[in-house]
Amino acid sequence: MSLISDIQDYPWTSLLAGILPARLTALLPARFQVTGAQIVPPTSIVGNALTVVLAIMTFLACLTAGGVYMVNQSANAWVDDIASEITIELDPVNTADIEKKMTLVSLFLAKQRGITRVKPLTAEDSAKLLEPWLGETVSISALPIPRLIAVEIDRSSPPDIEVIKTALTQNFDGVTLDDHRRWQAEIRTITRSTALGGIAVLGLVAAATIAVIIFATRSAMSSNRKIIEVLHFVGAQERFISSEFERHFLGLGVRAGLMGAFAAAVAFQLLPLMMYLLGGGAVTAAETRRLLGSGELDIGGYLLCLLVVVVVAGLCMLTSRLGVFRVLKSYA
Amino acid sequence: MIRFDNVGLRYGSGPEILRDVTFHVLPGSFHFLTGPSGAGKSSLLRLLFMSLRPSRGLIFVFGENVADLPRPGRAALRRRIGIVFQDFRLLDHLTTWENVALPLRVMGKKESDYAEDVTDLLRWVGLGERIHAYPEILSGGEKQRAAIARAVITRPELLLADEPTGNVDPAIGNRLLRLFVELNRLGTSVILATHDYSLMEQLEAPRLMLDEGQLKVSGT
Repeated sequence: MSLISDIQDYPWTSLLAGILPARLTALLPARFQVTGAQIVPPTSIVGNALTVVLAIMTFLACLTAGGVYMVNQSANAWVDDIASEITIELDPVNTADIEKKMTLVSLFLAKQRGITRVKPLTAEDSAKLLEPWLGETVSISALPIPRLIAVEIDRSSPPDIEVIKTALTQNFDGVTLDDHRRWQAEIRTITRSTALGGIAVLGLVAAATIAVIIFATRSAMSSNRKIIEVLHFVGAQERFISSEFERHFLGLGVRAGLMGAFAAAVAFQLLPLMMYLLGGGAVTAAETRRLLGSGELDIGGYLLCLLVVVVVAGLCMLTSRLGVFRVLKSYA
Repeated sequence: MIRFDNVGLRYGSGPEILRDVTFHVLPGSFHFLTGPSGAGKSSLLRLLFMSLRPSRGLIFVFGENVADLPRPGRAALRRRIGIVFQDFRLLDHLTTWENVALPLRVMGKKESDYAEDVTDLLRWVGLGERIHAYPEILSGGEKQRAAIARAVITRPELLLADEPTGNVDPAIGNRLLRLFVELNRLGTSVILATHDYSLMEQLEAPRLMLDEGQLKVSGT
């Protein structure tokens, strides 16, 4: 009950005055404003050092969170792509008219429910798929290369793959269906490993950030001990004292966090340019795109960076609150 | 108003610096607290102000047993007490006026309601020209007067002053004593810790004398 009443009675509206510049706060209704001089000094050497530390840690945390987010998004896109497609393979050996067979199989597939697109690959298309392994040579066309039909399935109402597989085997010789299950399983394993690795790295960076923020805030708080003492001696309630410090440190955390997050956003924007400057050419860019998708953060990624700022500012505020209560407890 | 029953105080596992201290402070009374340096005057004041807990014995402040009070309750009692510290404890980033107004601000009063009172009091203690000055540029005596003004601005029921005239010249010292007497006449109980005998001779008031941790009351 005490916690609930504490939360209800907390001067939430005054927190805004700690975050916004004085000029903007002056435009707000009276309940959002704090009258009188700031009891906690707005600037100090220790406070400036804390701002720098918070900005750097937010920058690193945003880079890690954004990077993990990009890899995760890209991995999910791979799985989605693969899961949306099946491949039909036609054995060219012992088939008199492979083109006719391709047409018949394609027509058969197009009639099946849950299939949205059937795309027979030409012999040249199949040969191109082998080029990375065999090189560009005319002799490829002389090889008995299996012919492929790419089939896109409707993810919202997928077909019964087993039924199609059985029907194909019964109606056509030398036709097999590959639903990419083995690939999907492998890609899922890779994406899960990547995601877990990313989360582990993010966890480590988060732990380091939390530790640095707590120690830096504690250090800044120790320089404010005299203020806590004076407020205590003039009869201020603990809630008043803690709210003064919370407002100050929340504002400091938000400003420093935004600086770090902004720097991280700029870094993400400049990532392709940085790779180019470091000597990466078009191939590097293509490989990066394959690994990280577009290589740019989407709105979700930027929201994640904002979440990092909220966590950093919240931690800063909470640490100052605990610091105030620790000092006050020492007088009890 | 204040009652000490067999109060003892020791810091950590050190020797007892206050032993069997027993006394009463009645509403509207004026006491000098005296004794040689290191006799425990400041510690006794801190016990009175509830910023220290006794090692033994009972302390009643405004009828409340301090040991039974939670922290918020002690803060509420502290608002009824004004305290002047030997080392002033002014906040360096606030002006003299803002320092003096601080107790009213923490009580949640509106600035418009107390602005004139703060200015008048500062003029009365001779700091009318230093209203906007920061403590860093005040002299020792000016800081002392600002600290006293901060302690009395709320018209406390009890005023505790630790060597309030230690940093001022005799003329200002006498003026400050007159301020304490005036407050006392208006109903504030005053406990003034000092070892300035010339100051004590100016006023007929009971003396709480601390010596080697024990308290003797004289002049009642």
